[in-house]
Amino acid sequence: MTSQVFAVFDELLRSPRAIAERSRAGGDLRPLFVASLSALVLGAGVFGATLATSRGGLQLLYSGVKLPLAMVVTMLLVVPAFHAIAAGLGRPLSFSGMIGLTLAAAGRGALVLIALSPLIWLSFDRGLAYHPGVLLAAACYALAGVAALDLVLRGVGFDARGLVIVSLFAGVLCAAGGQTAWMLRPFLGRPSAQSVPFFRARESSFWDAVQQSSRSSFGVYRVTRALSKVRAEAGGQQ
Amino acid sequence: MEQSLPTIVSAPQPSLSARLISAETHGVTQEFTRLAAGLGLAALYGLALGARSGGISLVQHALAASAGLAAVAVLGMPALFVLLALVDAPVSPVALLSAAARSLASAGFVLAGLAPSAALLAVTIDSADAVAFVTRAGLVLAGGIGLFQLTSAVRAMLEHLPAERRLKCNALLFGFCLFTIMLAGRVWYSLPILKGAA
Repeated sequence: MTSQVFAVFDELLRSPRAIAERSRAGGDLRPLFVASLSALVLGAGVFGATLATSRGGLQLLYSGVKLPLAMVVTMLLVVPAFHAIAAGLGRPLSFSGMIGLTLAAAGRGALVLIALSPLIWLSFDRGLAYHPGVLLAAACYALAGVAALDLVLRGVGFDARGLVIVSLFAGVLCAAGGQTAWMLRPFLGRPSAQSVPFFRARESSFWDAVQQSSRSSFGVYRVTRALSKVRAEAGGQQ
Repeated sequence: MEQSLPTIVSAPQPSLSARLISAETHGVTQEFTRLAAGLGLAALYGLALGARSGGISLVQHALAASAGLAAVAVLGMPALFVLLALVDAPVSPVALLSAAARSLASAGFVLAGLAPSAALLAVTIDSADAVAFVTRAGLVLAGGIGLFQLTSAVRAMLEHLPAERRLKCNALLFGFCLFTIMLAGRVWYSLPILKGAA
């Protein structure tokens, strides 16, 4: 079993087509499940801890635990949707095959994150600030996501219908994964923060943050309640 | 002398998705069962949305989510059969029932698949507008897949028609799709979560 698992690690990186075909065929998928889940936990854990090197201390442990947790929870939430969308659009796969394919894709993405971890560490070590660090992390996620979606696309079929299925699945994945990660943040930890919380207090949502960032990028800033209070106090003193 | 012993080989049971979305036409009872399964699965999506407020809202959302599909089955499908029969399309009632059951079961299956993600988003997102957008996206996705299944099945029945009659049938089918979108939208808009209910 152990040798099979190591063989799957290699296959995840080198031959996504073989992994996709194995998921489609069904049969004994246990080595694939074990290898993919191990890659997912290890890769996301290492990357999470590396992100936290900007803050250090307890944040290293928290991020190393929370990033794999966010990815596993997201997988649990989106696999039924992927299964239903693929079946509805005429590319049915057995449920175990779908779990295998999704886990393998996530595992492949996590292995890419391991490869990118030294770059993140070096960047923070050379003094990369918090906001550019967030952007660099997002770019790494995007790269890992492309590697993962490549495997998924081979699983559902590399044609127009396969592209539609994967695009719809990516939409569900972004919404559910974004919100899960939002709930489990912080992963980097703000340098100015006094303490290191495991979870930040519930505020707004991933969706609201995306909307607010989009508006801000066009120079439209929403006046928050806290800011309007500060302005009112400043006006009263004048 | 070696004797071959009889072995009992059980045929693999088709999965739930395979049974719901299978293109095979079954008897009327089985088709109604498939339809009912689709409506039941759609109710799971409603339950997930209702988890935002809890209590009676769970039931309200479950009923409204299924009602959109049920309205298409009850009000839309007989009308489509009559219209296709008027242009002498080779579509039997049982074949159309099978196509409808398959498409509504597909839509219900997709809604059920989206239910876990919808529950997370409905419960954890503060903004009522954002939750309404997510809800609409799920309904549009599932409805779109259901409509795709229905039009594919009906168009397959029209394959051997002369071009002129096929054009008429396709025009009717297009009109029916617009009507279905409006009808399902009208019913789904009774979901409290789309009216900004917290």
